[in-house]
Amino acid sequence: MTRTDLDHSPAATAPASEPARRPADPDRPPRGDSRAATAFSHLFLLGWAVLTTFPLLWALGSSFKNDEEILTDPWGLPGALRWENWARAWSHARIGRYFLNSVIVVAGSLTLTMLLGSMAAYVLARYTFRGHRLVYLLFAGGMMFPVFLALVPLFFVVRDLGLLGTLPGLMLVYTAYSLPFTVFFLTAFFRTLPTSVSEAALVDGCGHFGLFFRVMLPMARTGLISVAIFNFLGQWNQYVLPIVLMQGEGAQDRWVLAQGLTALAVSEGYAGDYSGLFAGMAIAMLPVLLAYAVFQRQVQSGLTAGHLK
Amino acid sequence: MSTNPEPAVPRRALLRGAAAAGVLAATGPLTGCALGGGGGGRDSAHGEKSAANPLGVDPAAPLEVVIFNGGLGEEYARNHEVMFQQRHPRAHIRHSATQEIAKTLQPRFVGGDPPDVVNNAGANQIDFNSLVAQGALADLGPLLDAPSLDDPAARVRDTLLPGAVESGTFDGRVLALNYAYTAYGVWYSGRLFADRGWAYPRTWDDMIALCRRIKAAGIAPWAYQGKHPRYLSWPILASAAKLAGPEVLVAIDNLEPNAWKHEAVTAAAEAYRQLVVDRYLLPGSEGMDHVQAQTEWCRGRAAFVSCGSWLENEQRAVTPADFRMTLAPTPSLTTGDRLPFQAVRGTAAESFIVPAKAHNVAGGLEYLRVMLSKAGAADFTRRTSSLTCVRDGAAGVPLTPGLASVTRVLAASGAHTFNFRYGQFYRRLERDLIDAACGEFFAGRLDTAGFTSRCQRAADEIARDDSVKKYRR
Amino acid sequence: MRHGKRLFVATFLLPPLAVYGVFVLSPYAQAVQISTTDWGGLSPDYSYVGLDNFLRLARDPYLWNALGHNAVLLLVLPVVTIALGLLFASMLTVGGRRRAAGVQPVRGAAAYRLVYFFPQVLSVAVIGVLWKEMYAPNTGLINGALRAVGLDALTRPWLGDPDVAFWCVLAVLVWSNVGFYVVLFSAAMHAIPRDIYEAALLDGAGRASTLRRITVPLLWDTVQVAWVYLAILALDGFAVVQIVTGGGPGFSSDVIGLRLYSTAFGEARFGYASAIGVAMLFLTLSVAVLALRLTRRERVEF
Repeated sequence: MTRTDLDHSPAATAPASEPARRPADPDRPPRGDSRAATAFSHLFLLGWAVLTTFPLLWALGSSFKNDEEILTDPWGLPGALRWENWARAWSHARIGRYFLNSVIVVAGSLTLTMLLGSMAAYVLARYTFRGHRLVYLLFAGGMMFPVFLALVPLFFVVRDLGLLGTLPGLMLVYTAYSLPFTVFFLTAFFRTLPTSVSEAALVDGCGHFGLFFRVMLPMARTGLISVAIFNFLGQWNQYVLPIVLMQGEGAQDRWVLAQGLTALAVSEGYAGDYSGLFAGMAIAMLPVLLAYAVFQRQVQSGLTAGHLK
Repeated sequence: MSTNPEPAVPRRALLRGAAAAGVLAATGPLTGCALGGGGGGRDSAHGEKSAANPLGVDPAAPLEVVIFNGGLGEEYARNHEVMFQQRHPRAHIRHSATQEIAKTLQPRFVGGDPPDVVNNAGANQIDFNSLVAQGALADLGPLLDAPSLDDPAARVRDTLLPGAVESGTFDGRVLALNYAYTAYGVWYSGRLFADRGWAYPRTWDDMIALCRRIKAAGIAPWAYQGKHPRYLSWPILASAAKLAGPEVLVAIDNLEPNAWKHEAVTAAAEAYRQLVVDRYLLPGSEGMDHVQAQTEWCRGRAAFVSCGSWLENEQRAVTPADFRMTLAPTPSLTTGDRLPFQAVRGTAAESFIVPAKAHNVAGGLEYLRVMLSKAGAADFTRRTSSLTCVRDGAAGVPLTPGLASVTRVLAASGAHTFNFRYGQFYRRLERDLIDAACGEFFAGRLDTAGFTSRCQRAADEIARDDSVKKYRR
Repeated sequence: MRHGKRLFVATFLLPPLAVYGVFVLSPYAQAVQISTTDWGGLSPDYSYVGLDNFLRLARDPYLWNALGHNAVLLLVLPVVTIALGLLFASMLTVGGRRRAAGVQPVRGAAAYRLVYFFPQVLSVAVIGVLWKEMYAPNTGLINGALRAVGLDALTRPWLGDPDVAFWCVLAVLVWSNVGFYVVLFSAAMHAIPRDIYEAALLDGAGRASTLRRITVPLLWDTVQVAWVYLAILALDGFAVVQIVTGGGPGFSSDVIGLRLYSTAFGEARFGYASAIGVAMLFLTLSVAVLALRLTRRERVEF
């Protein structure tokens, strides 16, 4: 099976010119052609679209309501655009700060993940050496490990390295836990790249390092984008790791978004600040949704290209 | 920027997994092992004992306080910290607050690096049974025997409400200070009742009669916290204790065989089953969490709700201005009850602990002593609408309606005040198992016999489990 | 060249392995060791108990109850999600009006894909909190919607009913995952040459049989990948369950991840919790292998 090519959108391909067509069997009109079926498709598709978007719109709408409106009238529109809910969530619940922390951590860990992951994957895909199989299995097996099995020992490892409650510490841990998936997929990906190119490049006097950085990485762009997006989502939404590792004095200033939002959801259970909770949810949702809407083509094709081998 | 000093004791290396991958060389200094414990090599900080410093606090030792950031918030603690600072100006205080006490602190307990004071509360608190069984808590005896901050002639333990010390006692040692004094009972809106001309029923027959009228008026008689149905086990146990005496509850706390099948418990459960049979429970309740159900009640959709005295603070945001939140004892089941109608369940709750391995145990005890001063208690009550376990601790504090009614109820109950502690001894028993039985019972899927035997099965299960430490009252 | 290769392999492999070894492998190795102790987690004291924890685990009714729910998830989640994904993907890709020009995507296919994918980019914390509010009996949207269209009889306290709560969790898992597979399958279908569909169209094949006879076989590799992902997800489900139902009412929506979690962080029994983790590890590995085995088919080349 071939991979989809990013720049080659299927809509752009003209349908094959008409060959000599066999007339369809007259007893069997193409049922699919009926308007009813198309309408039915649309109805189905629309239904799911509503199912997907409505809860999100509802949360957005509720972020402008006051608690009274939220509790009495789930369907009603907010009486006013109460931005103070957002302000409260942003500053008082410190969602703004957590947002920034998330951006910093994920930027760092994503870069590191992609760098280390592609290095390991490339070597595993293209070179043979003693212990090759073991290393590959160690990485791939990591995808199966239930994370919280490792939590407490991990705490000590991080603490003994003096990285507890620090952003770099969290970056390293995110990176480590993203490696299994990254290595597994990029290895498969590098294997699909043609070997002739690399042989030619080596003959041209391009060393192993040069080959990797100048030839292989650009060639693997689709796979890299795909895995990067996957990792971005995973790291952005990570929630058990930061809770355990971001503690101690001042660590609350370095919380990440999922942590802050869960804290808000829990405290809503004690203080009943529903509007603040919905506003926090909206703040957590919107930037990611907007970023996705802008880059949707890259996200979708990137995310899926890696699996179509 | 780690908050944790490097452990003085180097520990056994355990990086077998890494070793298997042949990268031990890259991890030279790393010899961490969760099981190795460590950090325990240091003594806790201490200074000269004197009249001014009876607990022997090292004046320069830092103090770390971790507060559960729940219904009571964390602000009250900042004030206590200021008061501590005034007594020990050189001490650097570290304050943090979290809702995830267990997740945040458990690894630090293991590492021998716990904070000095922990407010162990909330749904995600560290299991007390385990804390005690694993010897993780410092004895608070020295604090209780120290002179009170307000009156050097009185010991701290003499300034507390009755039962406060007992509620933190495990195996004869006081290991927890339960700071907030909580009364449990049935809540209603004083204004709603005044408007409708309803009077709170003193007997269960009157309760059922009133429920009929309430329902006829288009209001659900009872709301309940359906996702945490154990809230309704409290009035059942209270009614049973009033019917046959508090010994019923002691038997339950001690996991005695057939304690849940005691005829008083059966009679109480049978009485409350009437609410299910006659459909006196707010429809949809079983799908609501505590805030949702209590909010329905605040908005006048239901007349009664079972809760502890934290209710007022929890519902502050959604309570109408002239709601007049009022606490009342559970109605008497019969005219021949052992305890009077006025008797309620009252106990100190909201635990504060000093870990045995804290770096500044003396400072932790001193901090609790500050909390137990009149000024510390009054400030807490002012900020949280909750009473403390300090006698006359709320003197001079303007009382909110709910708090005023709690004070009245507790005064009327006096020496008849009772308590049960099985939920504190065996957290899983109450929060999971009895909770599940209540859920089935109040959804109408279990009859009274089924309910009591299911509760008994749960208690027997805990009694049989050798991995759970047992306590007796 | 030989020597250069060695140096290169070492330089490229050691940094990732070091990070991985320190932060992932060593904690897991320690956790396996912990599973053979009675360590509680609140003090450094422990003693080795051999396989005691594993024997206890085999007799633990709560664990089996949770495992049963994971088994149901394992059967239902991949089937429902993949079926919906394939259905929507084929509607989007070849579901448009069929004209002489051949097979068309439906109008607005790109917009649908955009919208369907939304849940995929949301944090599980957001999804959990959102659905917890959706299911709320009086203030939630679901009962609100039912009342609005006069179906009051169907309203129920969703998360409060032990017969329903688990299915509510399953619905959230499906809801949040379908979009990704729609996009994945759509992309895979774009790679299928259009004339195959057109030939089918000429043969008068209906939509259903096109899907069954052409799309699914040609997409089988992708379906297999999807199956493995969803199987791993079904063995977890921890975050959604924890936030939406907390495993209740009365353990009726409990899953094994939540068992492990509350054993460790609720009851402070790390030895036992680690044993559950080790058991989970073996379970996940065997399920993944099984999923790959069961879905193995002849590859269709084109």
